[in-house]
Amino acid sequence: MRIERLLANGGRLVAVALILIWSLFPIAFVLMSSVKPAKDIFAAPPKFVFEPTIRHYLDLIAKWGVFFDGLLNSLIVTVGATLLAVVASVAAGYIYSRHSGRFLSASAVFLIVVRLIPPIAITLPLFPVVNWLRLNDTHLVLILLYATFFVSLGTLLMRTFIDQVPRELDEAALIDGASRFTILRSIILPIVAPGILAVSVFVVVFAWNEFLFAFVFTATRAKTAPLVISEMIGSIDGVDWGILFAAATVQLLPVLLFVGFMHRYLVAGLSAGATKG
Amino acid sequence: MSAIHANPITERERAANRSQPQPGETPARLAGLRDRVRNALGFFPFLAPVHVLLLSIIVIPAFYVGWLSLNTSSFGQAPVYVGLANYVKVLTDPAFREALINTGIIVVVAVHLELALALGMALLFAGGLPGRRFLLVAVLAPYAISEVTAVAMWRFLFDPDIGPVTMALRALHLPVLEWSYVPSHGLIIIALLTIWLHLPFTFVILFAARLAIPGELYEAAKVDGATTLQSFRRVTLPLLGPAMLIALLFRYIFAFRLFSEVWLMTQGGPARSTEVVAVYLYQEAFRFNAFGTAAATAWIMVLISLLLAAGYVLILRRQGGAHAH
Repeated sequence: MRIERLLANGGRLVAVALILIWSLFPIAFVLMSSVKPAKDIFAAPPKFVFEPTIRHYLDLIAKWGVFFDGLLNSLIVTVGATLLAVVASVAAGYIYSRHSGRFLSASAVFLIVVRLIPPIAITLPLFPVVNWLRLNDTHLVLILLYATFFVSLGTLLMRTFIDQVPRELDEAALIDGASRFTILRSIILPIVAPGILAVSVFVVVFAWNEFLFAFVFTATRAKTAPLVISEMIGSIDGVDWGILFAAATVQLLPVLLFVGFMHRYLVAGLSAGATKG
Repeated sequence: MSAIHANPITERERAANRSQPQPGETPARLAGLRDRVRNALGFFPFLAPVHVLLLSIIVIPAFYVGWLSLNTSSFGQAPVYVGLANYVKVLTDPAFREALINTGIIVVVAVHLELALALGMALLFAGGLPGRRFLLVAVLAPYAISEVTAVAMWRFLFDPDIGPVTMALRALHLPVLEWSYVPSHGLIIIALLTIWLHLPFTFVILFAARLAIPGELYEAAKVDGATTLQSFRRVTLPLLGPAMLIALLFRYIFAFRLFSEVWLMTQGGPARSTEVVAVYLYQEAFRFNAFGTAAATAWIMVLISLLLAAGYVLILRRQGGAHAH
């Protein structure tokens, strides 16, 4: 019995170790390599003790100024898309939570279905339209695209969060003559802050990291950070791994910390978003 | 819980009212109608942003691409109606068939492997672990990583000449992945990468569902003398079933649109051998400027996704009906 227990505990320990290595090793490796001296990056077996250097970061600044423009573009697009998605989702989620009817329940199904259409399928028809509107290579086109792919999930999430706010609260305000807009802003909004955070986590992670739309719809002015990194990977004269690791670190660290701090909302949002459609 | 059946009782009442029109009720019904119209007008500004975005950016383009697929055109060319010719062309194109097979392999292998891993992890976590919160954050970490950065990592780790993982495998006399020129190895590394990126999602769904199973059920099973394996088969599996199905369908849909990982890892090469459907579409559209066949591919993708989506909605509905609030 005791041996069995010991074995079970040992097995669990091994499993946990494997999970940690699987999830964290690639990330840790990038962070570590970004401060490794160039000669140690390719050392075999890999060196875990070395003299840290900021050399690659200095090279990144000197040679890839465009990467920092990319970061700024990513920031603008991420903030814009998150704001748009949150505002639109809260407004619609409020109606879906407080009212019912055939049109509303049918359009809730529509929301679920639409978000499952593959993004690449719509790049082709949108491409000429975006050009014609002179929106190609602008922040706006990415903001609209990113927000759109999350407003349906956002609406459904906000509905489940607003469902938990007692109806009596807004009915009382309605009797006092408050408009829907006032009720939403001053009663609902402060209570559903966690829901807003859950929606934001999704949009922020997606917008900050997205590749396909940025690849198709931007060229120079609105090029985002992931796109610049992809150019470093595809560099014809060989990849400069030191610089690439430094850029990857700068790109991933903010969103990694963000997810770390927000993991509770991420978990709540993921499980509610997929199972409560 | 589910808004699809937002309010079954009121719906039924309303239907009953409709089926028994009574004389003298007309003014009240008119007032009801007026209320409803006023309501609809009041809803409009709240619903408009979401629906305008969805219609103009996803729905109308999706239909437009369906129309484009019945025409042949390229840059600066007027479209000419060709019926289903584009579909015939795509479906008989060996490159498309190869892309479809590759996509199928990745969807089937990667998604099921991912589900099995996620299930194991969810059960491990639910069994209680020291430092569970830290472990949870660690498991979620890949969710934060962009496809581009993940590809950069994996290209280095699995580099056939200098990659640390390759060297470790060599040192252990294990086979290494020659992913840059052996097509099947390319697919393996893409599948691994895609599992790495999406495991957090599947894990969270299953973990949340596992936590929702009441502990009493396990205690009851124990009292009845059930072994661990028996309580897994009789309690855990049936109760996790719906969540597993949902995670599975969701991942089918998302794995089916796989693009960035493949494009950045192998560009579909060598010689188009690791292309997936989305990469095929991209090549047709933006490299060969064959809008007709690209549109047909896009519409095929939309149709398959909608088919999977229908399954998803069906499961959600059934669940909503099973324990309707």
